[in-house]
Amino acid sequence: MQVLLRLVLAFASALLSANPAFAHASERGHVLLLPTGYYVVGGAMAVAASFLVLAVLPPNLLGRAAALRLPLGGIGDGARMWTSLLSFAVLAVLVAAGFLGSRDPLSNPLPLTVWTLLWVGLTLVQGAFGNLWAWINPWYGPWRLASAAFPNLDSRTMPAWLGYWPALFLFAGFAWFELVYPAPDDPARLALAVALYWAASFVCTIIFGYEDWSRRGEFLSVFFRMVSRFGVVEASPEIGAGKRRLSLCFPGSKLWRAKPLPPSGMLFLLLTLSSVSFDGFSKTFTWLGFNGVNPLEFPGRSALIGINSTGLLLMFAALASVYLLAVFAGQKLAGDSRSFWHAAGLVVWSIVPIALAYHFSHYLTALLVNGQYALVALSDPFSLGWNLFGTAHMNVAAGLTVGSGSAWLLWNFQAAAIIGGHVLAVLIAHALAFRLHPSPAKAALSQLPLTFLMVLYTVFGLWLLSTPTAG
Amino acid sequence: MTDKNRNSGLIGLNRRSALKGLVASAGLMAAPGFVRYSQAQSSAPIKIGFQAHRTGIGAAYGRWYEKTTAAALKLINEAGGINGRPVEVITEDDGTDPKRGAEVVGKFASQHKTDIVFGTLFSHVVIGSAPTAGELKMPYYVVSEGHHVASTKMNRYCFQPGITDVKSQVISMAPWIAANVGKKITMIYPDFAFGHDHRDYFTPAIKAQGGEVIAQIPIPPTESSFTRYFPQIPAETEVIYHVMVGPAVLTFVKELGEFYGTNRPQLFGFIDSLEAVDMASPGLEFLEGSHFWEGMPRYLQPDASDAVKAYRNAVGIDENGAAVGDPKDVSTAAHMFGCWETLYVVKQAMEAAGYQGPDDRAKLVEATEALTEFKEGPEHPQGDKIFNGKIHQCFGHQNISIVEGGKLKVVHRTSIEDGLYEPEGDYTTQAL
Repeated sequence: MQVLLRLVLAFASALLSANPAFAHASERGHVLLLPTGYYVVGGAMAVAASFLVLAVLPPNLLGRAAALRLPLGGIGDGARMWTSLLSFAVLAVLVAAGFLGSRDPLSNPLPLTVWTLLWVGLTLVQGAFGNLWAWINPWYGPWRLASAAFPNLDSRTMPAWLGYWPALFLFAGFAWFELVYPAPDDPARLALAVALYWAASFVCTIIFGYEDWSRRGEFLSVFFRMVSRFGVVEASPEIGAGKRRLSLCFPGSKLWRAKPLPPSGMLFLLLTLSSVSFDGFSKTFTWLGFNGVNPLEFPGRSALIGINSTGLLLMFAALASVYLLAVFAGQKLAGDSRSFWHAAGLVVWSIVPIALAYHFSHYLTALLVNGQYALVALSDPFSLGWNLFGTAHMNVAAGLTVGSGSAWLLWNFQAAAIIGGHVLAVLIAHALAFRLHPSPAKAALSQLPLTFLMVLYTVFGLWLLSTPTAG
Repeated sequence: MTDKNRNSGLIGLNRRSALKGLVASAGLMAAPGFVRYSQAQSSAPIKIGFQAHRTGIGAAYGRWYEKTTAAALKLINEAGGINGRPVEVITEDDGTDPKRGAEVVGKFASQHKTDIVFGTLFSHVVIGSAPTAGELKMPYYVVSEGHHVASTKMNRYCFQPGITDVKSQVISMAPWIAANVGKKITMIYPDFAFGHDHRDYFTPAIKAQGGEVIAQIPIPPTESSFTRYFPQIPAETEVIYHVMVGPAVLTFVKELGEFYGTNRPQLFGFIDSLEAVDMASPGLEFLEGSHFWEGMPRYLQPDASDAVKAYRNAVGIDENGAAVGDPKDVSTAAHMFGCWETLYVVKQAMEAAGYQGPDDRAKLVEATEALTEFKEGPEHPQGDKIFNGKIHQCFGHQNISIVEGGKLKVVHRTSIEDGLYEPEGDYTTQAL
């Protein structure tokens, strides 16, 4: 957790070297004055142009770049049990703090750690680097201890027919809790949810075995593993005695060799993107106005449970439908008679950079501001006057994200991430298409509808960040 | 909890630990400058439940309400607490959500067993929470500026003693506007309760001053571009009274500027539109020379009293009303003083009632109702006020400020009488 904390802090301060606050009405007000329309047009053109450039590039050029590796040395996983146990201990303390510490969600370390450091910060760390979560998830260590006591636990497996469905449904529950439930920040309620989820997931680990459950059942592990495929650090398969080789590669290179996901895995990735999209969309004047809600007199989340539950589901259904339609149309265009699900399950990996870009853009302000609150709260988790890391009395500077200058800077970071994420998505989809269609013309044709979808999603992403929102 | 300040002493007590709940400990009592809670019958703290907008749309306001509350709490405790007992504030987030607001009031009563609940800003949260406070007989001191308390539609346990309500604010503007800015007025306001309040209070008030609202232009709340509404502004308009709120306010000002160029009518607005927004922001240039209502001046005025300066230092705002050391973090200065003053009203009422614990809540209600005036000074830096115990509402001076060089300069301070109106009911007839 210490390492994680430092990583997040370093990441945040590398982005903007001042200090932050809550996104409130006036920040979006400054964005409304920016020429965001030009960015939308430019972004759409950039994504479309990247498709055209790729269509004429020799296919093996990118492949050679993607295969480049810079060795970093070896790593053993002997310490992995201990880092996980440490993480488990930290989690236990945080849950206790959720029950016993401050009732203020900005003073209690549990909500800040879960929603800011873990869900926002660690996702970006995973996406930028690699699967750090494999080392710090709070189940691996306890499971290793359990399997040392009961060796037959090692051989447990999860039936193949379950696919990624458990992860899909658990993530849907998580997204609902985060985006629709009235009080996800309430320390005690969150502590209960976290404790129950840890316990239930640990039971599943015992039943289905750690490997299978963490790969297809436990939604955080599934999500973190998927986004880490975009990161620049690659661990080789085991080379004996728990040793692996680490190497550096280009962002997204690891996706070149990705295997197709089954339909449940494909839907999982689409759900993660649609939930973040809905997080932005649910606050827009467009969505609120459509539902007859006055955004200037926002009635609170309690009044919108039905509306937002439906919206979350519809956003997922809409994204999944247009994605599948784009793949289907692509196959028709290319005259491909092979399995539709095979193509859809492979090309869906191109969603990863988009999901990361959305994550970055939508949660940037929260990360910068609440990240500071987290550092303060972690130093004194029980509000007992402790100062464990010397940050308990740090002044949370709220000015970083406030004002027209910050709005301009943040908007540019966000727009760059959205556009860059989609360009990389086009690139990855292109590379994956060559695995399906060795003929360059067919590969390009097969990608045409998906590229069109990505251009639309670029426009949607930029619009979400520049349209009037409540709160 | 009791040992937290053992080494720091009360003098070094920071905002964070102040709000976490300050309790007298042996080490703390030994600290220099400490006022001993010696005469108290009980040394257990007075517990104040702070219903805070920590998340949701009120969070930007909530942050400054929290800072102001912490600053006042620190001073109250340094001066010996209330009735010789330390004061502890317990913060619960209501998510700026009326349903959660009611839950939070319930939680304060049953779980935290606080003596009172305090600090709510957003009107819909007050309206959602007040019935629960009434049922639980929990004194509920809000800092909302809404008219709901004074309308006597809440209940006997609901008070607003630290900030004037919007009806009083609006009608107190009319005499000065009619005398100094113009008599033919066009109102532009968002088409929902907030805007309707301004329309309904101001229109008769300006008429009584010999002025006239010649056009009312309601803007749909989801609107984000305004140019097409401006042709509805009559040519003979002398003053545009505007109270737009939400993210599109800057766009509204910019488009109004583009519509009029340099030859515009006078403008009068409420700072609620631009609370916590830097007046020197790009797009707001058009407001130069226009006037705003301010509850308490955001910018340090040349004639500021020592009490005002002490208040600003304690809360931690600089001469521009921004956080000390963080100049972009502009405070919600026009409203947040209400938290400070309300806590001192609570202190005054508890002392008058000889308040000892939750059994004395009814006595506290009666003691609060018996209050009649608050004198200007360190406890009431915004100015002196009168309090009407029948409608549970205070009335104070309001400020009218002109935008000059991207800052607000007070040009007029209303009398308390300018904002008085006939009471609409009497809470004291309700059973306790």
